[in-house]
Amino acid sequence: MRSPLLRLTLLGGLTLGVSACSWSRFDDLTASAPVVLLEKPDSLNNGFGVSLATATNGGRSQVLVGGTVSTTGAALYEIGQEDAPNTSAIDTNYCSGANGKPCFLSSLIAGFANAQGPDQLHSLCYAVGTGEVVKQGLVMRCQDHSQYSLDMPPPAQQLLAMSIAQNQAPHDYPLATDRTDDPTLLASLPDLRLAWFYPERSTTLGELQLPDGMQVDDPSFGRSLAVLAVAGGRVLAIGVSGLSQVLLWKTEGDASAHYIGCLGGHSGMGRALAAGRVNADANDDLVISDSNQVRAIDGAALFQLSETTSTECDLAPSDLAGTLGPWECGSTTSDVSGCESSDFGAALAVGDLDGDGDGEVIVGAPRMSVRGQEKAGALLVYDAETAGGSAPVDVRFMSSAENGDELGRSIVAPHAGKRDIIAAGAPGHGKAALFYCSSLIPHGAAGSRCP
Amino acid sequence: MFALVKLVFLSPLSRVARRAAPIILLSALAAALAPSVSAQPKDAPSKRLEAIRAEMDKGQGLFVAGNYAGAAEVFEAGYAAYPYSAFLFNAGVCYQKQNDVDRALAKFREYIKVDPNAPDRDKVNQRIATLEAAKAAAVVPALGEAGSTGDAGAQAPVALPTGDDQTSMKSLVVIETEPDGAPLRIYQRVDPTAQFTLGAANPGFKEVASTNAPANLTLDVGQYHVVVEKFRDFNASEADMTVSPGHVHQLKANLSQGKFMAFLRVSSSVMGAHIWIDDKKKERSLWGNTPHGELVPGGKHDVLVEAPGFEPLLSSVELEHGQQKELEVRLERLGYGVLRVDATAPVVSVRVDDLPKGVWRTGTEPLDIRFDAGEHRLTVEADGRKTFRGKVVVPRGQILPLHVKMIPKYPRGPAWTQAIIGAAFLGASIYAGVESNRLYDEVKKDRENGNLESGDERATRGKWLAGGADAGFVIAGVLGGLATYNFIKDPLPESSLTEDKLLEFEDPLKTRPVARLAPQQALRQDVAAVERAPRLELMPSASTTGGGLFLGGKF
Repeated sequence: MRSPLLRLTLLGGLTLGVSACSWSRFDDLTASAPVVLLEKPDSLNNGFGVSLATATNGGRSQVLVGGTVSTTGAALYEIGQEDAPNTSAIDTNYCSGANGKPCFLSSLIAGFANAQGPDQLHSLCYAVGTGEVVKQGLVMRCQDHSQYSLDMPPPAQQLLAMSIAQNQAPHDYPLATDRTDDPTLLASLPDLRLAWFYPERSTTLGELQLPDGMQVDDPSFGRSLAVLAVAGGRVLAIGVSGLSQVLLWKTEGDASAHYIGCLGGHSGMGRALAAGRVNADANDDLVISDSNQVRAIDGAALFQLSETTSTECDLAPSDLAGTLGPWECGSTTSDVSGCESSDFGAALAVGDLDGDGDGEVIVGAPRMSVRGQEKAGALLVYDAETAGGSAPVDVRFMSSAENGDELGRSIVAPHAGKRDIIAAGAPGHGKAALFYCSSLIPHGAAGSRCP
Repeated sequence: MFALVKLVFLSPLSRVARRAAPIILLSALAAALAPSVSAQPKDAPSKRLEAIRAEMDKGQGLFVAGNYAGAAEVFEAGYAAYPYSAFLFNAGVCYQKQNDVDRALAKFREYIKVDPNAPDRDKVNQRIATLEAAKAAAVVPALGEAGSTGDAGAQAPVALPTGDDQTSMKSLVVIETEPDGAPLRIYQRVDPTAQFTLGAANPGFKEVASTNAPANLTLDVGQYHVVVEKFRDFNASEADMTVSPGHVHQLKANLSQGKFMAFLRVSSSVMGAHIWIDDKKKERSLWGNTPHGELVPGGKHDVLVEAPGFEPLLSSVELEHGQQKELEVRLERLGYGVLRVDATAPVVSVRVDDLPKGVWRTGTEPLDIRFDAGEHRLTVEADGRKTFRGKVVVPRGQILPLHVKMIPKYPRGPAWTQAIIGAAFLGASIYAGVESNRLYDEVKKDRENGNLESGDERATRGKWLAGGADAGFVIAGVLGGLATYNFIKDPLPESSLTEDKLLEFEDPLKTRPVARLAPQQALRQDVAAVERAPRLELMPSASTTGGGLFLGGKF
């Protein structure tokens, strides 16, 4: 009896010993994987990854992952400042609709390093949509779990009230902020072709007025937004891709904004907008995608534009000094293909991936094929420092790419220490991932997750 | 007592020169036949003669003792059992000694009746007449006395001759010839000084019987001369014979074909070896079995000596007339032998020196394999049994019985099971290992390209595959080791071989050698140098007139 037991024990021990050696090599690879999937909370089942927002304050960097537009539920993740993120959500009560308080997620959500509440300043806050917290309005929630509402223009407020009261289908209220410590919040109501903003550290809204006689009647109005922080103020950009236009305002810190022109000239222009430091100056630049290309327009140049009453959309990117691009769909690896139907430019972000001080443009192509997986999606990275190149310098994708993932439907570039990383949503299968590595990162400066 | 039990006379030695001069080798017969008569080839007649002799001796003994009634009773019983007329005559004499004339006459008359050609017929008729006369003489006085006394018919006592003594008893003489059928003439010596000469008048002899052998004669006591006349191509022979009273005498004559004879005795290192004389092809019956001696014609003879398992030996021997010669041969074993194989398996195949030699099946005779003498490799195989491999020494000219104990093969089922399962584990492990490595390479590539997810399913799968492969390799190794051990492990003994006692070759003549003798000189020409003291001695005798064989013994 003892002998068989001893033999079994020895056999099992030997087996486990040998197996442990083989297992460990996989653990070595995955222990600090370059791509980190954020764990989807069980309570969020509607389009996890449709929208993303990031905020950084006091060494803390966060990512908020939202779900399907007009539904409830977003999850907040603490990714820290190094390459050791907490992949579990630290707060899943963003726009949760708890206690019978309605909340409707926006297609674009926005993060704040600091946000002015009704009575105090809050850090690490997020504008996630509309609903009713204390009162009806734009719903804000901060990392200290405080929530409050921002007043909207009366038409928007009335529409929200009517929706809540009549239990009608909610409307989308896209939102955007800049990446400063005291960001300006830009909001729109495409269904009413209405847009407004909240200056830094203010809950007072300022409406964005078009010049008299200018008609922008297209449901794509306000589906894409961007806030550029430039020296002396902000540039507010609203895309109307249906009209291939990007409407521009600038504000100098108060609740007033001046219309400075309309960018056009390229089909589908304004499908997505992003703001960030693409060129070497300290001002944010405006990144615009159209049907086929992506360009970066110098933010400083835009801010230099004077207020105008022109109703024509006669401002071309090429007319502006410092415009970068255009960048087109491409790939640096055979694993990723299918540019012709890639939905290139569906989402944009700017991040300093290599930590050199200027940002790289990250373009989502959610319908690209990855290793034969159709619509798995990929992230194409363009470096403004690459003179004259229209091809991406880096392509990121998920190693577990699946058909219909649609990675790149939403993108942000949260801070992670001395550089930015990519956070991207793949709502097709409810995924959101952090991409720590890039081929642009100098060898030895990428941390433990990158080669 | 020295008893002569058999007479064999062979004469004459020279038909041309001394045909009329027979050599009497033996002229007297034993008063009683000794047990050594059994040396005769025919057993049943010998026993019959022995019984007759016993009856005759018993009656003779009672007669000598004066118990005539008892003797008569024995003779009567002897006749009833063995109807020889000698019994009747002797019974008649016994009755006569008792003055029982009627019964005496009856026996004598029956004697004449059953043996009308009896040599002593006249004498017996005379005795009958005497008895009748004596009886008549006894009746006349009785009648006279009866007339005077009125007692007519009363018989006076008979006064019979009383000269009969034990010599009055007749004996039974049995004469045989080899071959049968030879004409016989028996002469009684009437002149004690007369010598019988074949072909002469011989006035001192009276012919008392003329018949053909075999013959049973009732003869009086006396000297007789028996002549076997020329018969076919056999020569005539003769012999003197003394007939004692109340005995049984046997006379046998082996007839020769008329040449001078010599005596040859052949012995060999193998008792019972077969001997052929002047018959290299063995077309005739064998001459004898060693040791064997017999008269043979003089001259050169080829002697072929054979024994099963030995090389035949052909010798040539030159014999002179009347010479005795002993030929001793030493037979050498054959250069091959026979392996007689059986086994404990139903069917076995046998190979010697890797050459197939046959198949043996249970229930059949053992497999005989003839092979050169010496050491050879023996292989015995059977389904499901361990193959026997060993060395055997094939004897020279003998049969070596071999009993092969075929041990069943140890079952290898568990070993095969372990091997197969181990192989399956090995194959699965190889596949899992290869797949794991492939996944590892993919994951590693993604890792290097910065696209690897923390929870990449391939890494998990690869990890499981790696673990499974490692575990499988270990299990396969253990199973392989177990299988190897179980393939090697064999608690059962090996098939084994038992050698039985050596057997001699079958003798086609059904007379087998009985023993091996120590080597002797191959051939001794000097018969005088051979000294023996046999209990039964066969002595040849030869002279210028013929040759014969004398057989005697001490008892």
